[in-house]
Amino acid sequence: MVPLAGRLLILLGLLAASAGSIVGFATGRRPSAAGWAWTRRFAYAFAAFMVLATLVMEYALLTHDFSVSYVAHVGSRSVPTWVTVVSLWSSLEGSILFWGLVMGIYVAVATYRNREAHPEYMPYAVGVWLACGAFFSFLLAGPAQPFATIPNPPVDGPGPNALLQNHYLMVMHPPFLYSGYVGMTIPFGLACAALLVGRLGHDFIRPLRNFLLLPWIFLTIAIVLGGWWAYEVLGWGGYWAWDPVENASFLPWLTATAALHSAILVERKGVLKAWTVTLVIASYLLTILGTFMTRSGVFNSVHSFTQSAIGPTILAFLGVALLFSVAALALRVDTLAPEGRLETGASRDAAFLVQNLLFVLFTFTVLLGTVFPLVVEAVRGAQMSVGRPYFDRLSVPIGVALLFVMGVGPALPWGRATGAQVRKALLPPLIGGAALLILGFLLGARNPWTLLALFFGGFTAQVTLAEIALPVRQRMRSRGEGLLEAIAQSQSRGRRRLGAYIVHAGALLAIVAIAVSSTTGTSKEIQLRRGESTTLGAYALTFVDADRFTEPHRESLVARLDVSKNGSRLGSLYPRMNQYESQREPIGTPAVRSSLTEDLYLSIHNIDVDSGSVGLLVLVNPMVSWIWIATAVMALGGLFALVPAFRAETALVRETGPTSMPAPEPQ
Amino acid sequence: MSRPSAAWVAVLAIASAAAAQDRPTRSGPPAALDAPRGTPLSGATLDARTEEVGSLLRCPVCQGLSVADSPSTMARNMKAEVREKLAAGYDQEQIIAHFERSYGEFVRLEPRMRGVNLLVWLGPLAVLLGGGAIVAWLLKRSRPPAESDQAAERAGAPFLPSRDALPDDARLAAAVRRVRELAYGWPGGIPPKPPATSP
Amino acid sequence: MMPTPASSASPTRAPRVNRKVLVAGLVVVVPLIAILLLNLGRDPHSIRSPLIGRPAPPFSLAPVGGGSPISLESLRGRPVVVNFWATWCVPCFEEHAALVAAARTFKEAQFLGIVYEDDEARTKAFLAERGGAYPSLMDAEGKTAIAYGVFGVPETFFIDGQGRIVDKFVGPLSRGAIAELLGKAKGGAR
Repeated sequence: MVPLAGRLLILLGLLAASAGSIVGFATGRRPSAAGWAWTRRFAYAFAAFMVLATLVMEYALLTHDFSVSYVAHVGSRSVPTWVTVVSLWSSLEGSILFWGLVMGIYVAVATYRNREAHPEYMPYAVGVWLACGAFFSFLLAGPAQPFATIPNPPVDGPGPNALLQNHYLMVMHPPFLYSGYVGMTIPFGLACAALLVGRLGHDFIRPLRNFLLLPWIFLTIAIVLGGWWAYEVLGWGGYWAWDPVENASFLPWLTATAALHSAILVERKGVLKAWTVTLVIASYLLTILGTFMTRSGVFNSVHSFTQSAIGPTILAFLGVALLFSVAALALRVDTLAPEGRLETGASRDAAFLVQNLLFVLFTFTVLLGTVFPLVVEAVRGAQMSVGRPYFDRLSVPIGVALLFVMGVGPALPWGRATGAQVRKALLPPLIGGAALLILGFLLGARNPWTLLALFFGGFTAQVTLAEIALPVRQRMRSRGEGLLEAIAQSQSRGRRRLGAYIVHAGALLAIVAIAVSSTTGTSKEIQLRRGESTTLGAYALTFVDADRFTEPHRESLVARLDVSKNGSRLGSLYPRMNQYESQREPIGTPAVRSSLTEDLYLSIHNIDVDSGSVGLLVLVNPMVSWIWIATAVMALGGLFALVPAFRAETALVRETGPTSMPAPEPQ
Repeated sequence: MSRPSAAWVAVLAIASAAAAQDRPTRSGPPAALDAPRGTPLSGATLDARTEEVGSLLRCPVCQGLSVADSPSTMARNMKAEVREKLAAGYDQEQIIAHFERSYGEFVRLEPRMRGVNLLVWLGPLAVLLGGGAIVAWLLKRSRPPAESDQAAERAGAPFLPSRDALPDDARLAAAVRRVRELAYGWPGGIPPKPPATSP
Repeated sequence: MMPTPASSASPTRAPRVNRKVLVAGLVVVVPLIAILLLNLGRDPHSIRSPLIGRPAPPFSLAPVGGGSPISLESLRGRPVVVNFWATWCVPCFEEHAALVAAARTFKEAQFLGIVYEDDEARTKAFLAERGGAYPSLMDAEGKTAIAYGVFGVPETFFIDGQGRIVDKFVGPLSRGAIAELLGKAKGGAR
């Protein structure tokens, strides 16, 4: 019964998406109110079927219905309930169902919000969305059926991948990632609509930008959550290894960030329209490439799901989408002619272009490095690797250059500036740069790239803080408002701008923290017996005892280490080694003691409870906590910029009426 | 700083920066592991170099982790062997070649600079230079601002209000001037005279 | 200030294609798709061994349970089958019977087991229980496994009389496979 209901819902979703897509494109060509109404209905129907199918799958998981193949694959009676709930997205077919769910929700929300706006664009946009939805429904109905049945259902299942049961972060990372990834479909549809209509008007860049910003926020959080997971769970002490699947999540983020910036130029001057559309389309296509990389089994990765038949299907979709995009761009790029001019000379325009160039360079480098082993194997048959040393070597200069541009850009004025104005704008932040450089040097940083990053970081920090404070200072000066009132007023009116600079502040903090944490810091590998101690830096560790804990799904060996710093006791840390029934190698859970300045990181290499010995990896990683804090700042800044923007859109629509002039700003 | 040179400075800075980082492993046939070419190491230097060389070797049984990072038994055995060889005085290239003989090019995490592999290094450089050229060209071909305002006005529907125009309403005009002050940094909201010659 | 609404000029229906964009797009897209397509059947985990055709790395290891070390050089002149295995490895159970039978049948070849990442006591117990027909050697610190480029177990190397590796087999062996590869090793006497 359950599998039948699930399969039926998926088929209905496929039908709704296919029909809606066709109706959408037809309505786009020949607009009509009825056509648009039906397009919307199909969109909502698609969303409803995806939601219901997901609920059916959760029901099957929770009732341990092992006749459903996916449940037999990942379900288990001995895992905690929360693990059962989240195993929806732990494996191949379930994760595609989850993709469908997120897409359904996004399409429904985007359609609803724009149901009365942009009538010439929206049917095309919904048509494109539902075409993508139809593909994923097809995957669910055919190559990747989660509701396939098993004739002789087993009594119990193996449970989801042990690595994923180790930590509650597994709950958070995939939903954020999918909300970011799948969300790129929406701006993709809007961009394609702009191409198909042949225009990107001032009114339309706004929803395009907003619906790009929303998944961007999710993707930012997701990428860093993945890094946090690697750090807290995998136990090698780092947070980013340039694994193909990590790169897959990073690539669309890079192009989306570039697109968000060039969209500003589109809105202000009507230039770079075609370029922005290209970046938005590239962001979506990179998510499809990312999905292919994760699921095809072609790439050697920590993360990849097992090889399956859906690889070629996704590749086919990717090929079709790529060719369609190239064709649409080639045919319509000339209709997206610029309506203004870029400023010459040292101006913010130039900074935007350099920034875009750097992001594109970064994207190209990461993509090339990830795909290169395949190229070499095809050309000369040798199997080689492109690993962390390559990516680190190239991404460090690019990251530092971006940090620099992030400081120079906002410091330069928008219009044409004289040499004196440029000097006046760029000289004071040098003080901030020098200050941070000296501070870092005094604290022990010696790596030239780290010092450069600190210098630019201080430079950019001063610029960013000055820009954040600017409207407050202006209000205080010209209106005589007090500090608090000025802050309140400027944050409620200039939200987009303020949100953007908050994101910059977070980004510069992240880059500096990454630079510092990856080049400074100490490590030690040591074998300890019960009672023995060791020191690393200011920390002293004593191995007190090791114990064994048994849970239904795993057995854990836990070591207790007492930690003291500079003589004063700080407490105990409990790194562990977990042995799951389904895996040969045990999986360690490191113990991390985080503070604002540094992390003390303990990871077990080997542990013997009976003889009382433990082999430890001890790391002191400075400034790692700042990376997580910086990401939260970036996400908050993004939300800040996004939320009133949605409200402002509706406010704008309401005020348009018979009166031609809006009320001027109240004094 | 004039327009294209800003872009070129950035371009050259990155290019030389990437090149200035310590050179990637040299090209050439793998050195036979008969005689150590370097000096024997010990103590903290040995530890540090073990980490460095280990980070260039791929752990064969892990997914992409280096021998320095991986906790698996195989990686730790390999790391111990790296340490032994460094203590005996073998240099980095010899040690990597030693593992390459057993595992193939696969075990090298940073591609050697030869043949097709050069593309992975030259590709980004080409994009940087090519992109830089495009950016410079885009900035160069912009017409001076005075002309573009007139052109926009001639086109009929200006995208944004021109820099000089003010609305008739005095209160509105004051508001517009204040906006220009904030947005463009013009004192009093009055645009500076364009330095170029009049058309 | 309200932005003036964009004029609804109908876009000029230009079926003309922008050549530059088309070429640029295809230059990016076609190679990417081609590379991914060509690699579709690829198994990224099966790495070819560079040692095939080359001299086998020498070793001298003590057998499980003690005794004088057995070195590869001392076996020159006969084909040698070196099988890396471990007691925790399930496919190794599967091939154990085939290997023992082959060792008894092909007496002209020397079969050797090398134990990978395992402890001696457990190995001894396993062999006592399952029986063996040839010595298994303990590989302390995994040096021999590294020298042979072992990725996991079971992996088996077929070495000819001149001490050259003729082939490497990854995964559990069957009698047929052993016979075939041993034939290659025997035939390569030069």
